[in-house]
Amino acid sequence: MAEKHINARGLQCPGPIVQIFKEAQNCAAGDILCVEVTDQGFKKDIAAWCKKTKNELLSLEEEGGVIKARIKKG
Amino acid sequence: MKSEKVLIIGGVAAGTKAAAKAKRENPDLKIVVLTKDRHVSYAGCGLPYYLGDVIKEEKELLVKMPEDFLIDYDIEVLTEMEALKIMPEEKTVAVKSLRTGDVQTFAYDKLVLAAGASPFVPPAPGKELGNIVTVRTVTEATAIKNLINTRGIKDAVVVGGGMIGLEVAENLTLKGINTTVVELAPHVLPPYDADVALYVQKYLAEKGIRVLTGTAVKAFEDNGQGDVGVVITEAGPLKADLAVLAVGVRPNVDLAKECGIALGATGAIAVNELMETNIKDIYAVGDCAENTNLITGRPVWYPMGSTANKTGRVAAINLAGTGHKDTMKGVLGTSILKLFELNMGKTGLSERDARALGYDVETVLVTTQDKAHYYPGSHLIVTKLIVDRKTHLVLGGQVYGEGVVDKPVDILVTAISFGATVEQLTKLDLAYAPPFSMAMSSTIVAAHVMINKLQGRFTGVSPLDLKEKMEAGAVLVDVRSDEEFFLRSIPGSINIPLRMLSERAGELDRSKEIIINCKLGLRSYMASLKLKRLGFEKVSILDGGLTAYPFETE
Ligand SMILES: Cc1cc2nc3c(=O)[nH]c(=O)nc-3n(C[C@H](O)[C@H](O)[C@H](O)COP(=O)(O)OP(=O)(O)OC[C@H]3O[C@@H](n4cnc5c(N)ncnc54)[C@H](O)[C@@H]3O)c2cc1C
Repeated sequence: MAEKHINARGLQCPGPIVQIFKEAQNCAAGDILCVEVTDQGFKKDIAAWCKKTKNELLSLEEEGGVIKARIKKG
Repeated sequence: MKSEKVLIIGGVAAGTKAAAKAKRENPDLKIVVLTKDRHVSYAGCGLPYYLGDVIKEEKELLVKMPEDFLIDYDIEVLTEMEALKIMPEEKTVAVKSLRTGDVQTFAYDKLVLAAGASPFVPPAPGKELGNIVTVRTVTEATAIKNLINTRGIKDAVVVGGGMIGLEVAENLTLKGINTTVVELAPHVLPPYDADVALYVQKYLAEKGIRVLTGTAVKAFEDNGQGDVGVVITEAGPLKADLAVLAVGVRPNVDLAKECGIALGATGAIAVNELMETNIKDIYAVGDCAENTNLITGRPVWYPMGSTANKTGRVAAINLAGTGHKDTMKGVLGTSILKLFELNMGKTGLSERDARALGYDVETVLVTTQDKAHYYPGSHLIVTKLIVDRKTHLVLGGQVYGEGVVDKPVDILVTAISFGATVEQLTKLDLAYAPPFSMAMSSTIVAAHVMINKLQGRFTGVSPLDLKEKMEAGAVLVDVRSDEEFFLRSIPGSINIPLRMLSERAGELDRSKEIIINCKLGLRSYMASLKLKRLGFEKVSILDGGLTAYPFETE
């Protein structure tokens, strides 16, 4: 299973979530997407996205203002 | 210098500040502070955080002990001493020791009333039951903390959704207690405007706090052991093994009233700029004294710790007999609080107050970052500006969000204090580097948006009026990307991303009012300019965008 890293730091909304939409299209079920983001709104967005698209949010962490999410493509 | 006797009644913020400053002004003064309580000079403002264990132990709240005042300042602090009666003719005060019951007479040359305020207890049946508490003193807070930690409180009802009520509700929630806030007014934080307060309510609901507004508490019911078990409200019964009464405070003025000291229109003690009462050599400071609103010049009563310290200091300078004088011109009604990660502050007049006072008011809700968007840790904040259309003077502001709000609020305090117009606000040389701010700070952006609105470059729609407008046929067009729209949108809105607006404008009915919405407001503004160029006439923008929208989204 592939693991893909996305650096979406510095991107303002809608940047990060649009990138996820795009990358997720190229992933197979079970693939892992790791994203780093500085847009705080992303925390809510990614939770809503996973819920609505039936992907799994494995973890959501924040360290020094950088948000790191790991998502499993459903 | 003259060695006069200064007697101070009340030993928390205002009283101890007055005592310490008077002694620094004139070391020859003989200063005695009397207070009913066991504790002096404590951090009343810290009590909610003590309940939530952010502050662990009682001793952390006690700024100074009575004996510290004697050793450090040569000020005598007498605790558990209640002033019973002031005799202005003889310049004496009858004082009862709460430990022994003895009554003594204290003579003074200068008297300072710093008797503070006390929580108002609503006259609901059952209010005498156990576990119904107020949060004002260290003793009360320690009792509540012990109750929580030893009895395992499960459900709490906080009566009153003002600043203290909400801070307590936050801290009870952090302790794992299922908490409901019951507020009589139409929204929590009554001094704030509804658009701001409803946003706070939505946030509190997300954090698991139930908020019932426009709801009166009717009675408290016994759990069978003499303690509260149920709080009966207009909206039905609420299970509670703890009820916190936080419906506001009243100034402690009985002593003053009985000896002929005049009260003001607000019911607090009337004072002049020197903090003098109508009786010679008697001063009133802190929560028991009235304030003047700097904008309206009218008497107001804002019982704040920040003001208590300032008024205590002013009185001290004026009574010390050094020949120096200081004045307290007034206050703006500034306040700030934190609830979980949400910060909010206000200063000056609210939109509601300004309209009631007859100002021709313009407002904006402007969502921006608090610092450079690419700098880790930046957050969105919303600035509500309230301006007088005639003079363009800034009348007030409310700033809220998970980012830094104290700085913008304090910028507005300074601007209003010095009579700034919204145009002057835009040119302030505010400090900027990415970790701190934006090159155009939130306050400056808000001022620019206000000027655009005042110049008629766009029309705003308050989120509070949106539903009514949509019911009357207005179309809400969301110009964010389809991905953003997919994630969250306002019910009933349609999505035409800004980039496709020119091509798809034909889908819109020109005869209807078009309200544009985006995340912050910038894309809406650009969309409105585009549509106007395409000949649309009835175009407006949702103030504050989706970020400031205080109702449910889908
Ligand atoms: C939970 C809580 C949170 C708060 N948070 C904030 C905040 O974040 N920011 C802010 O600015 N303010 C805040 N405040 C308000 C602030 O605490 C008060 O404005 C401040 O304590 C006022 O100080 P004071 O000295 O005037 O009066 P008080 O603190 O009320 O002290 C008056 C003292 O006088 C004593 N006294 C009264 N009558 C007599 C008598 N007859 N004889 C002897 N002694 C007497 C009383 O027992 C009391 O000890 C908060 C208050 C509370 C309760």
